[in-house]
Amino acid sequence: MLRYIAFRSLVALFLVWVVVTIVFLLLHLIPGDPAELLLSTGNVAADPQAVAALREQMGLNAPLWQQYLDHMAGVLTGDLGASFRDGAPVIEQIALRLPRTLEVILAASLIATGIGVPLGTYAAIRADGKADAVISFFASASLSTPVFVVGSVVILIFAQELKWLPAGGFVPFSEDPVEHFKLLLMPAGTVALSLLAVITRMSRASVLEVLQRDYVRTARAKGLSRAPILRRHVVRNALIPVLTVLGLEMGTLIGGTVLVEFVFNWPGLSGYLVSAVDARDYPEVVGIVMTISVLFVFLNLVVDVVNAMLDPRISLVR
Amino acid sequence: MTTKMNRRGFLATTGAAAGALGFLGKAAFAQDGGTLRFGLSAYPPSFDVWASNGTAAGTIKLMCHRGLLSYDKDGVMQGELAESWDVGEDGTWTFKLRDANWHDGTPVTAADVAWTVTEAQKADSAAYLQGQLATITSIETPDEKTVVMKTDGPQAVLPNWFAHYNMSIMKSGSERDSMMGAGPFKLVSTDRGVSLSLEANTDYYKEGMPKVAGVEAIVYADENLRVAALEAGDVDVVEYVPWQAMAQVGDNDSLQLDTTFGPFMYLTFNGSKPPFDNPLVRRAVGHAIKREDIAAAAFYERGAPLEHLPIADASEFYNADLANSWNYDPDKAMALLAEAGYPDGFDCTMLSTAQYGMHQSTAEVCQAYLSMVGINVTLDLPEWSTRIKKGNEGSYDLSVMGTAADNNDPDGLANVLDGSLPAAYARSYGLETPEISELFKKGRAIFDAEERKAIYKELEQIAIDTAPIMGLCWREQGYGLAGNVSGFSNMPGQLTFYSGFTLEEAMLG
Repeated sequence: MLRYIAFRSLVALFLVWVVVTIVFLLLHLIPGDPAELLLSTGNVAADPQAVAALREQMGLNAPLWQQYLDHMAGVLTGDLGASFRDGAPVIEQIALRLPRTLEVILAASLIATGIGVPLGTYAAIRADGKADAVISFFASASLSTPVFVVGSVVILIFAQELKWLPAGGFVPFSEDPVEHFKLLLMPAGTVALSLLAVITRMSRASVLEVLQRDYVRTARAKGLSRAPILRRHVVRNALIPVLTVLGLEMGTLIGGTVLVEFVFNWPGLSGYLVSAVDARDYPEVVGIVMTISVLFVFLNLVVDVVNAMLDPRISLVR
Repeated sequence: MTTKMNRRGFLATTGAAAGALGFLGKAAFAQDGGTLRFGLSAYPPSFDVWASNGTAAGTIKLMCHRGLLSYDKDGVMQGELAESWDVGEDGTWTFKLRDANWHDGTPVTAADVAWTVTEAQKADSAAYLQGQLATITSIETPDEKTVVMKTDGPQAVLPNWFAHYNMSIMKSGSERDSMMGAGPFKLVSTDRGVSLSLEANTDYYKEGMPKVAGVEAIVYADENLRVAALEAGDVDVVEYVPWQAMAQVGDNDSLQLDTTFGPFMYLTFNGSKPPFDNPLVRRAVGHAIKREDIAAAAFYERGAPLEHLPIADASEFYNADLANSWNYDPDKAMALLAEAGYPDGFDCTMLSTAQYGMHQSTAEVCQAYLSMVGINVTLDLPEWSTRIKKGNEGSYDLSVMGTAADNNDPDGLANVLDGSLPAAYARSYGLETPEISELFKKGRAIFDAEERKAIYKELEQIAIDTAPIMGLCWREQGYGLAGNVSGFSNMPGQLTFYSGFTLEEAMLG
């Protein structure tokens, strides 16, 4: 088991290195000069001399391999550099924004599992019935509606028309907990909706499969009533694949909440990444992508290890 | 509907009302002038006081800083840190400073002004007005409150520089991105990318101003959310009301829409190679495009045709007889093309951006009309940063651009017209404009209003004939305000981006 974990960790490290290298190279390949951009805001001619001076100051005149080595050296010592735009340390900005994105994802996951698992289970029990059809239709519909559509519609209803909630924004929990949760509600709910569809469908399929198992038939045969069978034997076993899917979905969401953060003005990591790319702020982009890939790879590792613990056969296959 | 009220209903209503009041809490009642919540379109990319860093940064800088001069809400120049200014026979400008203090309580002195100008005029300062300031050859400070500036030739437009929002005065020795100024508000805290909190400067040199206790500036990058936030009552003022939402804001009884025609859309040309090195071809483009369709398609009818240089009809420099010189006339366009040696038209690329809807729509309308006279346009629509780079490098034949002039004086158009300035995406690429450059220079050196009018009329006539740029349409620039906001105004014409000056007068009623 330990050997398996060690091996998987090495692979994970290698993956992170590959991602960071690709991102670094891609950024330098796409057109757009950060120095020129920084000096060209507001429709003004950037003075070529000033651009050259700024490039020198940013270290952009060094050969690419030199910039790469400098950057990697920084990464290894935990220094992700400073923003080209205003010199803010990248690591601090990530530390500030990552928890905000994680908060939305976590809240959305709680909502989605809380509703999705019972809903999917119910649909499985009533497989091919009316309720199943309604739930499946709802799941497909919410899965195929883009988040910016859902987001815009909920803003229109709850903020512009009913005026129950603020249209968007962020207030730190320490400043005003009530306002904080009011602002969290819409983005988390929007992310939860698409996640809910995945969880519901997965729970339904998984419960259906477990219902066919021999031990369920045995339990029924020995006279157990429906509720305990479902609770003790079916749902518990059916949850394993659901949690695996949830873990992977959460990983995808870390970099995938861009639209939700944009629509609701939630100052998380994904939105930060977009503005960094727009400004060609190399240190910020590389730092954020690295953080996201580390988290994603780590989540995958956790899922693998948990699976290996649950089913010892997996580690032998490798 | 029943009006009968029983005990239970009464309790429920008053209970709910009490709850709602408690909920509104400090926001609604603990106010002394209240906090104005301002919806920004972007977080300032930097706070560099003399650099041009966009509208949002400009507005924030105007909260904390002041220059020697400014404009009032009608666009008339007025004193700020300078209470009077005067020009001598020899073209020497003298500014008399008023009694004003920096945020740290120390007085604003002539030495601070001298230091500011000296820093900003340095060749590598990257100050927006560096080129203009470099013509100031000496600054003398005969006493604490007097500044005398000499230029390398008479400079009639010098006061305009010192009224610009990128030319605020800083305390001697300050960091360039310091927010410690002499303006009406003090920066209290920032949440990078999210919001900025400012409090009133109680020591501000204008009696009774600012009228609000503070400003909370919140960034709403998504234009639709910015409008939604205004409608939901989350903010009191928003900048950059998107054109598609202007009617919606204007029609809402509880909101106010304040717009001005100032910024404009135009085409720039690559003058370094055929076919657009030929003025006949450039003029043909102007006669081929029906401007009304751009106003309709790109600006939801919130635009107006621009068939001459962008000089507003309210300006004293407006030339009515030239106003329709580049009118829509496809026959004339084809005749000009034939005269230029392109009777069957040609193929070319037009640079615009897919990042901003109005830039793309403008390009699409132009493409459609140009195809009707035989000019086959391929659109190049990269995102904004690539578009800037390509514009600066001249990697295009034609390009769509939108901007505002520096101020309402025609000299403010040098930024878009003067080919002697370094290559920039706001101007045509590789296009020499010797006569126009000469007239700009002449206009700056003359103080007599009538003489200046004649010069800029000549300049416009030459521009009409040589078409260094091609005007397309004016666009409305709007602020959305909650019903209870007064005092804040969208400044007229090209000064719209100076509107932050009026925040000192903003009130919540």
